[in-house]
Amino acid sequence: MSETAPGANPYKIYWVTWGILLVITVAMLAAESFHMPRIFLVVFLLAFMMVKAVMIGGNFMHLRFERKNLAFMVASGILVTSLILYLFITPESWHVKKSSAVDATPAAAPAAETAPAPAH
Amino acid sequence: MEPGGHATTMDAHWGGGAAPFGASWQKTMMWIFIVTDALLFSGLLCGYAFLRQSNAAPWPNRPEVFSIPFIALMTFILISSSATMGSAVTAARLGDRKKALLNLLITIVGGTAFLGCQAYEWGHLIHEGARLTGPIAGSELIHKGVTSQFTQAFFLLTGFHGSHVLSGLVILIITAIRTSMGKTPAQGVEMAGLYWHFVDLVWVFIFTLFYLL
Repeated sequence: MSETAPGANPYKIYWVTWGILLVITVAMLAAESFHMPRIFLVVFLLAFMMVKAVMIGGNFMHLRFERKNLAFMVASGILVTSLILYLFITPESWHVKKSSAVDATPAAAPAAETAPAPAH
Repeated sequence: MEPGGHATTMDAHWGGGAAPFGASWQKTMMWIFIVTDALLFSGLLCGYAFLRQSNAAPWPNRPEVFSIPFIALMTFILISSSATMGSAVTAARLGDRKKALLNLLITIVGGTAFLGCQAYEWGHLIHEGARLTGPIAGSELIHKGVTSQFTQAFFLLTGFHGSHVLSGLVILIITAIRTSMGKTPAQGVEMAGLYWHFVDLVWVFIFTLFYLL
């Protein structure tokens, strides 16, 4: 599929994308200095990260100009599998954190063992 | 709507046949490889999320451990090398071998500079006492909150990415040599370009999730 209109500068797309990527990167670096609430900062950074990924995939890697099923296979394959990995792996980290916090207080275990049984 | 219009649209975008993705076998295989390689980094980033969430102490403040402007410079170098790589692909397609070769060489210089910066960053952190197993006893990094989870995430994420940059550089050097001899078709430059852009894409995620968040 043709990526540029006849007569258009075929190199332009790369340098326009490069400029936009640089502006976004500077905005991401500057975001910290605005002292916005953490949740806004996280959403801002994640949103711009995805915009950068789409620009690199679409313009640099030409996915915009490929057939839709190729772009769909690539995007859905990576995103869905990543989401499943994240959702299945990371919840365990809370248990690890919890158990390491218990281990850090050794007095807690013997105290629990010697605690009187609840009255029935 | 003409009869069968919907079917024609479906066939144009989703149809199978000899070329299900409307691309050459080389490009299709390259994309399948990129998806599988992306899943490797996806697993590594999920591992990083696990390490970070299971870290009992607060996660170290990155600007105290790294020089963020230096990391931003590395990002600038990689994004710029991606733009020159794209130009090399277009020049090769247009049959402008000289321009393709020039852009390939600039990309190689950019990739080498990025690797040099990463080697400096690793050397600096190792000199400060960071190891894969955690900061060594008495290290200044311990006072900055650096834990074994942090060093493991850092060395594995940037190490795997760096090894991809290195292999990308080898591919680019071979492509440049063959282009100078007139042996690489435009599609060969395009395949090398896809891999190089992928390396840039992965860095976007590492830069945001590890250094900025």
